[in-house]
Amino acid sequence: MSQILSGGEPFLYRGESGVGVLLVHGWTSSPQEMRDLGKHLAGQGHTVLGLRLPGHGTRPADLNRLLWRDWLAAVEDGYHFLENASEKVVAMGLSLGGALALLLAASLPVAGVVAMATPYELPTQPRLRWLRHLLFPMRPLGNLLRFMPKPTVNDYKDPQAYEDHLSYDVFPVQSVPEVGGLLELLRQQLPGMRAPLLLLHAVEDRGVSPDHARSIYARVGSTEKELVWIEDSGHVITVEPSRRRVYDLAAEFVDRELERAP
Amino acid sequence: MRVVVDRGEPFFYPGGDIGCLLIHGFTGAPEEMRWMGKYLAEQGFTVLGVRLFAHATQVADMNRARWEDWLANAEDGYHMLRGLASQVVVIGMSMGGALTLLLAREFEPAGILVMATPIRIPDNRVERIRPLLPLISKVMPTIRLPGGSDWADKEAEKLQLHYHEIAVRSAAELHDLLGEMRRSLGRVKAPALLIYAKGDLGTPPNAAHFILEQLGSSDKQILWLENGGHNIARDAGREQAFEAAAEFIRRITA
Repeated sequence: MSQILSGGEPFLYRGESGVGVLLVHGWTSSPQEMRDLGKHLAGQGHTVLGLRLPGHGTRPADLNRLLWRDWLAAVEDGYHFLENASEKVVAMGLSLGGALALLLAASLPVAGVVAMATPYELPTQPRLRWLRHLLFPMRPLGNLLRFMPKPTVNDYKDPQAYEDHLSYDVFPVQSVPEVGGLLELLRQQLPGMRAPLLLLHAVEDRGVSPDHARSIYARVGSTEKELVWIEDSGHVITVEPSRRRVYDLAAEFVDRELERAP
Repeated sequence: MRVVVDRGEPFFYPGGDIGCLLIHGFTGAPEEMRWMGKYLAEQGFTVLGVRLFAHATQVADMNRARWEDWLANAEDGYHMLRGLASQVVVIGMSMGGALTLLLAREFEPAGILVMATPIRIPDNRVERIRPLLPLISKVMPTIRLPGGSDWADKEAEKLQLHYHEIAVRSAAELHDLLGEMRRSLGRVKAPALLIYAKGDLGTPPNAAHFILEQLGSSDKQILWLENGGHNIARDAGREQAFEAAAEFIRRITA
């Protein structure tokens, strides 16, 4: 039996444009939610790597063991895979992956960042908030309650996309403070960030409200920054009815980076 | 901040239609496979050297690692190469060789190259106290192991990038991984080349004999290096190992 769930494998496509695009998926999910975007960008001639974050695409219990530094190490790996195969590396991420893409740009020479549906702080989703209040003061409680079911209500516009989405159906409880810790680091690093940034966020995102995108936009140090609102989509904007628009915006961003002198 | 240490980065060298996946050993780093990777890239192969979970960061991370994480990283590399190459050859050093064998049990690589892979942890105390190790690791997270060096190339030894301590919990994981490997050998069918060094102080020759005998592959060979010690892809016998690897890859992918 393979360790990685079928459909949750990372992917690598080779192009000759000179740009390497690193795609980073979100918390509790897998490279699957980035694959169609990856194919689109590969179709434009770019080298594309959709990495798998540690603890993802395997078993929910794996996430309870991990620290946020493990995820950061994995996006560094992604950068290093691409740096030798391309002249410029653009990092793109969804949700937690967006935060990781931003943090990567704070430590390595990333040419640009596309951050999609990215949180600025731990979302105020009721269950997550409850877990946070429970866990930050009393972390050992995570040993008693290892998983929390995800809410059955969701913000998907496309029910099929929800059905097809490969993601753990529980929140690994001990991983929640790790998300919080990573976002704390993000808030520290944002003002020092200089890489060009494109923020994409669904107006109707119920997982990570549009306020998060506004906060990132306001506090990021990059002078070249743009925030584009996506209609007709829930949180996972890469698989929703308006995904084509997301793919086009991401591809245009890469083209602009390509034209820029190195 | 950077989490992965300098020179501990994984690598990808694009090339031709044949992919080579390189997997480093326990407590090591992609660095120990880099010379071999560069050599194979010069031969026209596409080369990808993965970094195993909790390696090349800080040794404390190793206590959180499970052998399944390492196998998942090997699978990651395999899937990444499958997107570029029509055939993938998997190459592993020491514990990386054990991961190579487990990968070949699930997938169908064109061939496998196993270097200096043990069948058991040399220190047989680990076998006896295996169930206690998770608990021991809580009070004694890491230990420093005394041990003689078997390096012939002292310059290469200085460049070696690895943890200088063993995370106690991870010894249990290595133990379990090797057990899983021993039980799986018969189900591995891929053409195989084993490379072992006569001067290896860590892995006894019977490991090579055991793997060769138990392997389910019908095409299997062993090469004994006269020069160098355990670190086959870095030590004095490396050129011979690289050439044998390239020749093996060309033969099985022809």
